[in-house]
Amino acid sequence: MSLTDRAVETRSSHGSASRSGFTRLHPKKWLLFFVTALLAVLTVFPLLWMLSSSFKGLNDVNSLSLIPAAPTLANFVYVFTEVPFLTYMFNSFFVATVVTVGALFFHSMAAYALSWLRFPGRNVIFLAIFSTFLVSLPVILVPLFILAKFLGLLNNFGGLIIPALFNAFGIFLLRQFYLGIPKELGEAATLDGCNYWQTYWHLILPLSRPVLSALAVFFFLANWNSFLWPLTITNDQNLWMVQIGIANFQNQYAGSWNYIMAASVVAAIPTLMLFFFFQRQLVTSIKASGFK
Amino acid sequence: MDAEQSLSHAIEKTSLSRRSFMKRTGAAGLATLSAASIPAFLSACGSSGGGGSSSTLSFWQFYGPGGTVKGQSQWFVDLAAAWNKQNKTQVKLQYVPTNDYISGSKLQTAFASGQGPDIFLLSPGDFLRYYNGGVLQDLTPYIDSTAQQDLVAGVMGTRMVNGKIYGVPMEVEPMAFYYSVDAFDKAGLNENDIPTTWEGLLELGAKLKTSKRYGITFETGPGYYQNFTWYPFMWQGGGDAVDSTTKKSGFNSPGAIQALQFWQDAVKRGIAPRTLQGTGGGDIIANLVGGYTAIQNTGIWSVADLKANAPDFKYGVFKLPVPTGGTYKTVAGGWAFVANARGSNPEEAAKFCAWALASMQPDSIQRGVDWISKVKSDVGPRTSVMDKATQDGAFSTGALKTFKEDVFPGARGEPRYPAPVYKAISDAIQACMLNGANPAQQAATAAQAIDTYLASYSGAPIL
Amino acid sequence: MTSGSLIAKEQAPIQPRKDPPKRGLSRKHREWIAAALFLTPDLIGLFIFLGIPMLMSLLLGFFSADGFGNFTFVGFGNYVQMFSDAQFMNSLRTTLLYIVAFVPGLFITSLLLALLVKQKIPFVGVLRSMFFVPNVISLVVVGFVWKFILIDKIGLLNQILQSAGISGISWLGDPNLALWSVIAITIWFSMGYYMIIFLAGLQEISPEFYEASMLDGANAWQTFWKVTWPLLRPTSFFVLLVSLVSAVAGSQGFDLIYVMTRGGPANATELGIFYIYEQAFQFNNYGYAAAMASFVVAILLVATIIMFAVTKGGSFESD
Repeated sequence: MSLTDRAVETRSSHGSASRSGFTRLHPKKWLLFFVTALLAVLTVFPLLWMLSSSFKGLNDVNSLSLIPAAPTLANFVYVFTEVPFLTYMFNSFFVATVVTVGALFFHSMAAYALSWLRFPGRNVIFLAIFSTFLVSLPVILVPLFILAKFLGLLNNFGGLIIPALFNAFGIFLLRQFYLGIPKELGEAATLDGCNYWQTYWHLILPLSRPVLSALAVFFFLANWNSFLWPLTITNDQNLWMVQIGIANFQNQYAGSWNYIMAASVVAAIPTLMLFFFFQRQLVTSIKASGFK
Repeated sequence: MDAEQSLSHAIEKTSLSRRSFMKRTGAAGLATLSAASIPAFLSACGSSGGGGSSSTLSFWQFYGPGGTVKGQSQWFVDLAAAWNKQNKTQVKLQYVPTNDYISGSKLQTAFASGQGPDIFLLSPGDFLRYYNGGVLQDLTPYIDSTAQQDLVAGVMGTRMVNGKIYGVPMEVEPMAFYYSVDAFDKAGLNENDIPTTWEGLLELGAKLKTSKRYGITFETGPGYYQNFTWYPFMWQGGGDAVDSTTKKSGFNSPGAIQALQFWQDAVKRGIAPRTLQGTGGGDIIANLVGGYTAIQNTGIWSVADLKANAPDFKYGVFKLPVPTGGTYKTVAGGWAFVANARGSNPEEAAKFCAWALASMQPDSIQRGVDWISKVKSDVGPRTSVMDKATQDGAFSTGALKTFKEDVFPGARGEPRYPAPVYKAISDAIQACMLNGANPAQQAATAAQAIDTYLASYSGAPIL
Repeated sequence: MTSGSLIAKEQAPIQPRKDPPKRGLSRKHREWIAAALFLTPDLIGLFIFLGIPMLMSLLLGFFSADGFGNFTFVGFGNYVQMFSDAQFMNSLRTTLLYIVAFVPGLFITSLLLALLVKQKIPFVGVLRSMFFVPNVISLVVVGFVWKFILIDKIGLLNQILQSAGISGISWLGDPNLALWSVIAITIWFSMGYYMIIFLAGLQEISPEFYEASMLDGANAWQTFWKVTWPLLRPTSFFVLLVSLVSAVAGSQGFDLIYVMTRGGPANATELGIFYIYEQAFQFNNYGYAAAMASFVVAILLVATIIMFAVTKGGSFESD
């Protein structure tokens, strides 16, 4: 596929289709578009309350009306002035970015070995890796905390980042995709004199761009929004992440829901933008076209 | 296409996309770089664990910046500052988001790994868990006898074991009913229609409910809080969950059964809802002010919430009605300062608790007055604090007057039931209120579960 | 730029094989060493941060631990106790119901969405983002906004039903409905996420297969079953397994239930993981909670092994 080919494909499929593209659309596609759009609107509908509540005052925030009685920006101002919300956002951003890059790298390496290389005990190792996916954080919270304390990972970025790097989800997902890449490509690479590292770096990684994009969004999202682990290991408020900052607006018997909504709207923007840009990668079919 | 051709094709293609991949992610090089620089971050840890070092005491609480009432977090900041000015051992405030503090895992995880805070807030419902775990420091030696007399006995019961004080309460929070004056007006009712019996309350609720509003709300979600709000209805008819003399469950009793029935009737007749708005039953802004209900069962803290967030809302307060032949009772909750016996410096921590809330010094009394009347709306746990606050006019008008004069006199402290007792009662309340179960049967089941637990229980007395 | 120069310039952080094959090391052995090197970082990390805590938790299951440093060895006592614990058994039953509705529901919804947004339709990027939006919202907020729709009497859904003459339905307060409401919300929340996974899987299917199918005169329905479905199997397997595990082990389900119903009404939404959490952090029965967690993990592990065996390691190929 040439560069131009791809550019065209990307453009027409991510939606910024030209006017002529619109009118040339097949009636069937129009129907499809309307069905999809309707479903999409229904999906985001409940969240319109979040948006509208973020512009309401506290006494109005529980009303069912989607239009604020007296729209105000005060909630957003409060969120950024009364608490160091920007610091929380920076912390989340830093942790999420480092974890995402690191995890993509480690997991794609492991998945390559598990799917393309043959070695004794491959399935057993894979199952052992997968078994770590079967426990959720609350179940191992106390032992993990003790371990983190032992390793000096309390109250620092290391503790926020290092344990978050490792999870079987990414390895499993990547492995499933690598299994689908035609082995002939690998054989061709070997014939061409590529060693394992070169095959991984020049063949597997580029070919897995769609799934890596999806994983990048997933990892970023998971870490941007992580709550329990950061809360457990940090005592220093300067290390708080976004979700802790949002939880902070809830009191014992009442929540400042207008602030919670405003903070959540702000917190949702980075991941949503990231998603919007990365989802384009999902449409570029980079399967070896014509290869068979 | 043969293999060789296809490979060059593939590589050509991949080198292109590889470049863009590198550009986008900033490359894996960054990952190795950050991995190498991570030890630099670790140096920040030092002795800043939950326990803190011997010259610093960590104080965990849940009144942080950004809450609904700003003065509350400031009160804690001022408290720590005042202590730190006078003492070598410094107190460091550590804020934990409320929901996690109350029903989450941070505090538990810290204690389970020996990293518990030196000073923390504790509610009666959690008292035995910590006391039986051996982490509560005896505060008695640090509170002089005048001050011990000053602490209201009814409030202290659940914070004491064998005459020793393990927690100094900061507030007393009794439960009552709040009603919307507007809803009353529209139904042609006024304060003379305030009910004194359960049946009267239900009738009133039936009159007040409309197609868009419920008559009365009780807490609907399972948890310590729901139990807490339900206990007075059980006590009013003479029921009790644990009989302190026989050490048996008193739950299978007419008092408990009729209270279960009462809540069930309210829901069955469509007077009370099955779910609540906002944060739940204690959230008056979301429910009463929001127009979801005409009468709400909530505590004294709601006065401050109304004052801060709905100052124009007209409301009234009345004490809990009683069943036929019953006696008036309400429940009073509230949190206390406690010290960690296994902390870095339990003696200093205990001294801090006593100094803050249980000293006869004017500043200690004033602190109590500020907390209950300036930044919150509560009853005080000390005679001196109540006297001073009353003198200042905190209870002279409106809802707080009703609370002091009508509601509080029948208050019993929140019981300190261990988790299995709480859970048995909670299951009974939930099954009767929301699943239409038979109250007598549920009471019997719960009583049996409690008896089984009590048979093997060996901790401090359950009150 | 030729591909050769690119490779030569590359400074690889780890190079399993720098120079031409060493004498005496067969290709097979080189492959083993390469695999070991590729796997090492993740294996070490997973072992330290998940393996060790899991083993500690397994060990803890044989003790009675109160969370304040007091331990008593009880052997299999905790395991004996859990089978006579009606609450635990009830929570497992609820979990099973949850799985039966959640896993297929999520699978079908997210696959359908993926098939829709795979098409070349206008604004597909925006539409995809809209389906994904629920995922980026904090769960506290999700709980709050759904109450506007589901709350008794005045919620949007009940107001619509009321105009149709149906009233008095409590979506979250009726024990017969609450679990299904929570499942529906969880599917709503998760479908965009799994849609992306399916989308990535669909992109892996080479267009030639579709072209060939079209040449054969197959319609869209036939093409789906002849081409898409079989070639999507590794992805489908992944989605099934991951959603099964997340239904049992918690993750979103747990947090959502926590904000929506707290396990109520009348324990109707108390999943196994919820009960385990409660036993640990509210009842301070850490040993018992660890034993129950180990039991659940064991069941999942057996299910996983069976699924892997049947599907030949999720590759569906004779390898």
